[in-house]
Amino acid sequence: MADDNDVLAAFLTLSATLTGYSQFRLLGTGQAEPYLATTRGAVGDDVLDQLLTTSAAVHDKAADNEEALDRGLRAGILSDDKLGPVARNVIKMWFVGTWYQLPQEWRDAHATREPDVTHVVSPASYTEGLLWPTIGANPPGAKGQGYGTWASPPLIDVP
Amino acid sequence: MTLRRITTVEDLHAYLHIAMQLEHATIPPYLTALYSMHPTTNADAYRVIRVVAVEEMLHLTLAANLLNAVGGTPDLTAEGFVPTYPAHLPDGETDFEVGTRAFSRDTIETFLKIERPALAEGDGRFVARERSSRALLPGVDAHEDDLHFYSIGEFYAEVGEGLQRLYDEMGDDLFCGDPARQVGAAYYYSGGGAIVEVTDGASAAAAMRVISEQGEGLGGTIYDEEGELAHYYRFQQLLLGRYYQPGDQGGTPTGPPFEVDWEAVYPVKADAQLDDYREPGELRDAVFAYSATYGEFLTRLTEAFSGRPDLLLPAVGDMFRIKELASQIIRNPMPGAAGVNAAPVFRGLAPVEVS
Repeated sequence: MADDNDVLAAFLTLSATLTGYSQFRLLGTGQAEPYLATTRGAVGDDVLDQLLTTSAAVHDKAADNEEALDRGLRAGILSDDKLGPVARNVIKMWFVGTWYQLPQEWRDAHATREPDVTHVVSPASYTEGLLWPTIGANPPGAKGQGYGTWASPPLIDVP
Repeated sequence: MTLRRITTVEDLHAYLHIAMQLEHATIPPYLTALYSMHPTTNADAYRVIRVVAVEEMLHLTLAANLLNAVGGTPDLTAEGFVPTYPAHLPDGETDFEVGTRAFSRDTIETFLKIERPALAEGDGRFVARERSSRALLPGVDAHEDDLHFYSIGEFYAEVGEGLQRLYDEMGDDLFCGDPARQVGAAYYYSGGGAIVEVTDGASAAAAMRVISEQGEGLGGTIYDEEGELAHYYRFQQLLLGRYYQPGDQGGTPTGPPFEVDWEAVYPVKADAQLDDYREPGELRDAVFAYSATYGEFLTRLTEAFSGRPDLLLPAVGDMFRIKELASQIIRNPMPGAAGVNAAPVFRGLAPVEVS
């Protein structure tokens, strides 16, 4: 996965499966590249490559079978000591825009990298968090709604 | 050379319809450039373009108030109201095309042409050019279709003089419109300046003054009476990387410098059409849904300008939604075109593509 576009595509494939949001919606947040860069910075190229390679293999093997995909992800990634915590961090990052420092056991076992600290990825990542469409609300004070619109039903898409 | 000026109320209605069409036609290009910027980048450039776009929305509303005041009927859903980009502006400006394009130096150069200051007072405001089939709007006069205005400012100068001539002739009878159709401050707020309800000669002149001075400037000054910088010079700041401040001459701003990151931009497809989205999928659905949403929004504005100004309050929420949908589309790549991103299409409910 030397090509940047290939890495981004693989990251999006995994992210779409992990979050339940389509790649269109994920790209629509404008956060795919910053989240990929944040993940790479926190865990390093080797772990990232392993995560995405494993994800690609699971997706290939499952084809369009959702049950097989679910099983494969749980077995190959989410219950894996090294990849599981990283995948869970990616999920949290998409939903709330924050990278959480990996568990101490993971850091002791695999890597202690300086960028692996709890931080909001960017001001945009907070407002673009998937949390907001998931609960059917706008991020308070961060995305315009307009005077008096609280008297009307919400205008945002609920997936 | 003689050109028929505004001599009847019907002429004035036609001009004011064109004014609404013209003000609206600038908004999709400005919004596309605005939303093509990467999130949280280019704060200065974003603010400059946003302010101009919002002022065009004020001008659109002022034009609707003027049209309603003289007994006309605004219709933003009329066939041809929304241009198919790229398009020429209506008034003689066939030397450049306006389109929905990414934020770039070239795009700002085009915006400068849209907002260029008027050349001269009097008959010099008309230029004779061959009529383009891509012109946005009908010619000034069907019998002399090759005569057009050099700039938007000159177009409005003609509207202002026509209004005055008719007012001199007819007196207050000119303002026969139902005052309940006027949009006032209760329903139009913080949108690029004060709204003016038009009910007589003085308020009509005040509305005209806001449109022409705030927009393109007339008479060679860069600031208007309220001390606001004309649009042309606002955009010019982006190319020069420096703000104007009071006392400056056009072309040499001396205010604080600022950075413009021309690279932090999604390379959106220029002048995207619905036809560009043939591949079934979520992007195509989103672009078509956007177009329909935009059309519904124009329907709502038409209702608001037809005696229901209260509908402008929920329309503000619609505008934020339109921004969200456009941003999502712009951040997605165009399938099958490396290095090109998708762009929203501003059409309507029943999109018709003009080839």
